Formats: sequence, C-alpha cells, structure tokens
Amino acid sequence: MLEFNKLDKAIHEKGRLAIMTLLATRVSWSYGDLKAELGMSDGNLITHLRTLHKLGLVATTKEVRNRPQTSYSLTRKGRSAFTEYLRVLENIIKVGKR
Amino acid sequence: MDERLNAEENLRVIRQLMERVTVYRAISAPTALVGGILSILAAGAVYYNNEVQLVLGRAVRPREFAVLWIVVLVLAAIANAYFLWREAARSGRPFVSSGMKLALQAITPNLLIPAAFTLWFFQTGYLGAQELELVTVWVAFYGLGLLATALFAPRSLAILGWAFLLTALATPVLSEWIDRLTDDAPDTIMGLTFGLYHLIYAITTWPRSRRMAAGRPLAE
Repeated sequence: MLEFNKLDKAIHEKGRLAIMTLLATRVSWSYGDLKAELGMSDGNLITHLRTLHKLGLVATTKEVRNRPQTSYSLTRKGRSAFTEYLRVLENIIKVGKR
Repeated sequence: MDERLNAEENLRVIRQLMERVTVYRAISAPTALVGGILSILAAGAVYYNNEVQLVLGRAVRPREFAVLWIVVLVLAAIANAYFLWREAARSGRPFVSSGMKLALQAITPNLLIPAAFTLWFFQTGYLGAQELELVTVWVAFYGLGLLATALFAPRSLAILGWAFLLTALATPVLSEWIDRLTDDAPDTIMGLTFGLYHLIYAITTWPRSRRMAAGRPLAE
C-alpha cells in the first residue's frame, strides 16, 4: 500500500500516462501527431497537456512555419518523474510477487 | 494483489504504446506476399518468353523489361497502401501516422538515384541493353531504403534490407555464373530478390504481424 502511495497521481491518470509515454519516446511531438496517435478529443488532450504543463512536466514550443504549430516535450523534471513512476510500478510488482 | 495487477497492466500499456510508436513496419507481411508472388510471376513470364517459348515472337526488349517491373512496383505499392490502411483502420489508428511519416522521410532520399537511373535507362541506357546495371541499382537502393528505417523498424526488415544490399554488391561477381545457369542474369536476380526474398520475409514475419494486428488500441 505504501508503494502505491508513491505513484505520481498526475502521471497515473490513464490519459496523462499515455501522453507522458509518447513524449518519452521522442525529443518532441507536434499536437497533431499526439492527437492522431492517441485518438483523444481536442478538449481532453488540451486539458491533460495543460495539467502536465502547469506541473512543470511538459514544455510547450510554438512555431509558425506555414501555419502555427505547437510541439510538446518532456522537461527534465517530467523525464525524471516518468522514470520514477516506472521504478515505483516495478517495485509494486516485485513486492507483490514475494 | 490488485495493486500488483494494476501495476502490471500499466506497465503493459506503457510498453505497448512505446513499441507502437517506436516500431514501424513499412512493409507488411501480406504486402511482401503479394509483391513476392507478382515478382515471381513477372520473372517467370520473362524467362518463359526468352528461354522456353517466344510467346511474343521475340525476346522481351530492355524497355519492356523495365516497364514490366515498374508495373509490379506500382501494384505492390497499391497493395502495401491498402494493407497498411486496413491495419490502421482495424486498430483505430490514423493511416498517415507519425511512424509512416518517419518511414517516408527515411526511405524517400534512397529512391532518387534509382528514379534518375531509370529515366536514363528509358532515354539511352536501353540502347546498350544495360538491364543488369538497372537491376543492380534497383536492388541496392531498395536495400538501402529498407536499412534507412532500421532504427525504428523490426529486425526482420533490416535483415531483408541487408539481403538486398549484399545481393547487389555480389552481382558483379555472380552475374556471369547466373548467366551461365539461366542465360538471363537480370531477370533471375529480380526474381530472386523481389520474388524469393519477399516470400521468405512474408512467411517468417506472418505470425508476428498477425499478433500485432490483434493488439487492442491503447489509451482510448
């Protein structure tokens, strides 16, 4: 039970966990690619991204090429929070197997 | 116990999602099967006409040879687009996914030299009956194109790429021997690479690709 409490609640939510996982795989993701890959509604995805941004886990970059494009990436804090989240999950599994 | 099951489920979801976006199979097993069969048929038809019975009343001309293989390429590309679209629709993912964009960015530069060489072949190259050179360029750059996706493609695709590239490199050495054997080295090499190699790839990757296709979409 103690290990479970160590899980970062911001990341543990299913939608945000999927976003963090994708962001962990590449340097940055465009909003369009994230939306297409996750199949989330705009409202849902923006709400989750705002939450993660406010917590300092996700950085936002806005560019204007042919049209405005927003990209997202994990901050250093976000990357270490995600790594820690994985470590806690692994511990829960190890403890449960004993 | 519930905690452990939840943790296992979350790790499974994370792993599948990571694999889904970091592994992209630009050529599906069904495409390889269709491409392989078409290539064997094309190579067989040319061989039959040139070496067994002159159905056309003459041997296949160099430009006809190139046109035939371009038709095979177009049909295989259409089949590939269809199979990728079907798999995307089945798993609830976009057809033009970030993985496909990445694969196209990696493959496209490798197609420029074969395209230019083919244009040259149609203009003047055919006069010198340079089919063997054309085939070597096609096989080499197709292999390089596949290898360009190796960072995010399954290992089987990289092995296929190496098989093409090594065959192209061995062509200058082996072409005379193949010519003695079949009397038509360019046609034999096309049948061997685009036909047989693709069939082997299809057979060896088919069960795995079926399992991947059966996977549920994540993070709905």
